[in-house]
Amino acid sequence: MQSEDLQDSGRRDYLSPLGRLDPTVVRLPGITTQSGYTFPYIELSYLTIGKLSPAKDNAILICHALSGNAQVAGMMESGKPGWWDFHVGPGKTIDTNHFFVICSNVIGGCNGSTGPGSIDPQTGQPYGMSFPPVTIRDMAAAQVKLLDHLGVDKLFAVTGGSMGGMQALVWATEYTERVRCCIPIASCMAHSAMQIAFNEVGRQAITSDPNWRGGAYYGKARPEHGLAVARMVGHVTYLSEFSMHQKFGRKLQKAASNEDMFPQYSVESYLQHQGESFVRRFDPNAYLYITKALDNFDLLEGRAPEELLRDLKARFLVISFESDWLYPPSQSREMVRALNRSNAVVTYTNLETPYGHDSFLIQNPDFTRVLQNFLNTEYDSVSRQALV
Amino acid sequence: MNEYLYDQVIQWIPEGSRVLDLGTGDGSFLARLVKAKKVQGVGVEKEPELVAQCIEKGLVVHQGDIMDGLDQYGVQSFDCVLLLGTFQEIGTPLELLREAYRVGKTVIIAYTNFAYFHIRLQIMFSGRSPITRALPHAWYTSPNIHYFSVEDFDDFCERYKLRVLRNAYFNAAGPVSIFPNLLAEQAVSLLESTPISE
Repeated sequence: MQSEDLQDSGRRDYLSPLGRLDPTVVRLPGITTQSGYTFPYIELSYLTIGKLSPAKDNAILICHALSGNAQVAGMMESGKPGWWDFHVGPGKTIDTNHFFVICSNVIGGCNGSTGPGSIDPQTGQPYGMSFPPVTIRDMAAAQVKLLDHLGVDKLFAVTGGSMGGMQALVWATEYTERVRCCIPIASCMAHSAMQIAFNEVGRQAITSDPNWRGGAYYGKARPEHGLAVARMVGHVTYLSEFSMHQKFGRKLQKAASNEDMFPQYSVESYLQHQGESFVRRFDPNAYLYITKALDNFDLLEGRAPEELLRDLKARFLVISFESDWLYPPSQSREMVRALNRSNAVVTYTNLETPYGHDSFLIQNPDFTRVLQNFLNTEYDSVSRQALV
Repeated sequence: MNEYLYDQVIQWIPEGSRVLDLGTGDGSFLARLVKAKKVQGVGVEKEPELVAQCIEKGLVVHQGDIMDGLDQYGVQSFDCVLLLGTFQEIGTPLELLREAYRVGKTVIIAYTNFAYFHIRLQIMFSGRSPITRALPHAWYTSPNIHYFSVEDFDDFCERYKLRVLRNAYFNAAGPVSIFPNLLAEQAVSLLESTPISE
């Protein structure tokens, strides 16, 4: 079993059966954010894989997590595979021979979609910190524009891990008529103090980097050191004690030498490598905006679950991982409880995978089995209903 | 559980009702019920492997402990709650029954009759805990923690003024109509949820 996620493993021997795929950037009608800012237009980077069926009933929207992008599968320009290539492709967990997969980079991001690094049409300068706050709901609202553009009225399923799961929940609750199945994975209805705390450490690392300059660093030296530290902290929270022990234990990268008074542990150099490679592909301001979107997310927003979740049309599959201490199973259970209290149709499973929050990104037969069977049996019943 | 017993339960459940199956195992029976009676079925099961098997069968299933999980369902949100073989495996059957009454309009309880004559004979002649078709485990691996008979269950229903709508008794040969406490290997009762007296 590959117990590392694809984007960060640094392996060079993995080839996607989909070959090279490049996301498209499309200009779409604007949206008004929850904070009240109106974009005249937005740009979204997206990728589709597979074919939309004549009945248009096989579309699956995959929503990415904090550091993801539209490249859900296939080989990237950089020679790396997409972040969920283990699970998306012909014959895989989400079988692109049968399903039409859509994945787009979130608004507020930095991989082709409108975000703080984009040019503000009013000033001709990058937005920087004048970019409006974005929310998980804004991310879904932007995806709605993309789906309209693609001519996809109804999603057979919407899924994603972590922040992707939050977007899936928004889809199922705000666009009730457009979603048949909702599959939040290792996600929650609202961040806990602990989750906010870890994000705040990351944000502080970025904003206290002298190169940050209030976010106006475009064209100058970037606050790379701050972002690298943020990524290192984040990365620790995605792993588990077991996965770190298994991967590194107390192994040394290099013994203490005359120049270097202390030995360097493998886990240290691993995290440094993670930090360094992340800064090459991520905009520090986008990290600030997206982590704030995560922290501010509250599915219920003070409403009683029975009020918000009544009359949901979607059928739910909620998946959590026993070893995930960042988005612990208790948060998924709370979500399941709220859904059940509202008489939604919910299947819940808590998988024993020992690799922490990252469990959804790695090769994982238990996860594959559950998700694949759920999608296939649900799709069969959709097709049967269509025949009646 | 006995095949005849399963058939009986299917007969008792009205077409299209909402059914909660507590301790649904691999979901074989629930899947049968969904097919036969077009019920909206929900299973609760704590073993991840069995939950995965339920998902394979296209069932709606909740992974969790029966006792922890019931408070997530609304009052009378099911037409029927199934406790097939579960009652004898739960530490606090009375509390389980209260919760089942809260969420379901009716409750079906199926159990193994500990006064079945095979069991009586085994205990009498071997002097050891019985191992039978219906109680196949050695005492140290058995999930059963309560051993009760048809008479015990009737006493229990009387003690708490439970409203029993139907009873049915079975052994390997089929339905049992006389001396169930002696001749029935397994029993099943259909109860209507009414306030449980103290």
